[in-house]
Amino acid sequence: MLKTLLTLGLIGLLAAALLSGVHLATRDRIASEQQRQALATLNQLVPESEYDNALVEDWFNAWISGLSAPSTIYRARMDGEPVALLADVITPDGYSGDIRLLVGLTPQGEVIGVRVLEHRETPGLGDQIELKRSDWIRQFDGKSLAQPPAQSWAADRRGGAFDTLSSATITSSAVIEAVGNVLAWYAANRENAFEIRTESKDSSTSETRDGNNP
Amino acid sequence: MNAGSIEIWRQGLWDNNPGLVQLLGLCPLLAVTGTAVNGLGLGLATLFVLVISNLAVSAMRGIISPEIRIPVFVLVIATLVTVVDLVMQAWFSSLSRTLGIFIPLIVTNCTILGRAEAFASRRPVGDALIDGLAQGTGFAAVLVVLGAAREIVGHGTLMADAHLLLGDWARALEIKFLPQQTGLLLAVLPPGAFIGLGLMVAARNRMIRSRAVRAEASAHTDPQTA
Repeated sequence: MLKTLLTLGLIGLLAAALLSGVHLATRDRIASEQQRQALATLNQLVPESEYDNALVEDWFNAWISGLSAPSTIYRARMDGEPVALLADVITPDGYSGDIRLLVGLTPQGEVIGVRVLEHRETPGLGDQIELKRSDWIRQFDGKSLAQPPAQSWAADRRGGAFDTLSSATITSSAVIEAVGNVLAWYAANRENAFEIRTESKDSSTSETRDGNNP
Repeated sequence: MNAGSIEIWRQGLWDNNPGLVQLLGLCPLLAVTGTAVNGLGLGLATLFVLVISNLAVSAMRGIISPEIRIPVFVLVIATLVTVVDLVMQAWFSSLSRTLGIFIPLIVTNCTILGRAEAFASRRPVGDALIDGLAQGTGFAAVLVVLGAAREIVGHGTLMADAHLLLGDWARALEIKFLPQQTGLLLAVLPPGAFIGLGLMVAARNRMIRSRAVRAEASAHTDPQTA
């Protein structure tokens, strides 16, 4: 009996030792890979040549109404001047739960572009929000809260100004309203959005959110 | 290759296929086979874990008493899956992003525990290695075939997004059968997985039955011709 227990304990120890070894050996590489991936995501909307700050590290958390909190806001600057603001946000209103979006804004509050980072929408219907499946997501490019006006930030099937994907009204509305919410938040925080101090990396919750999502 | 190992291969690929006959590991099997590439990815990861866990269990079979074998198997499998997950995140990060959700699913795949219990814990290391390869290949084959069928019917493509798994050269592997958005949606949704697997099991059963009928028929006629 004692021998059995010892065997089990020994195998458990071996497994623990193996895992800690592998963890130590891969930790730094995983962190740098995650950093690289986060940057590649942001570069989809703001090309590397247009900013010169450490984009991935220049961020803060924001609480935007209508979206899952907290959202992560990245800021691109060139020679210290604001170039773009990139909001990594999650809307809980998708047809099958959360949709994670990256919304890029100019300092003037105009949409540079929107990209879908993660979603579980219906294949063949709701997944048309992905850029690789249709150009639907490009309809936001160049839009702002003035053009169209704030009350028109809704799907056309619900009386708004934006195209609705057929058979995916809920998905479409979730994305359209999420972008509208980001714009409304920026309109209210325009003065200080580029001034807020960057949050320290150690207390970062968004870092893990960025990295651990498959 | 000797007769024993050929028999192990035949068991894994056809006679005792984990997906079609043992019906083990259905949770990951049904969940990820929306496309051929997803099926291939999970198939390869499962194959790898199965081979290593068979080796480890077989190597330890002398020192493990029956009372603790199940906890030990579970410990070995969970450790291996975690190692695979970490290594993939570090060195194959794009692959890890596409397969990320499937890797932890391997722990829930009862094929691996099943092979450890039914085979690896009773056989020498060499046999266990072959069994891991054979069962893993059999499982991967089912995943790829089911994924391909659902992808063709549901999306009208085959091997779409192969570059995420195999590198950029694999973009050329994609074949388009239908214009965009004309596929049958049902095939991609969860019911399509059950229907597809059901059809595969039925097709296999039919092949075996018709072969048995033919064998019987020839057994009847043989004595007369002789």
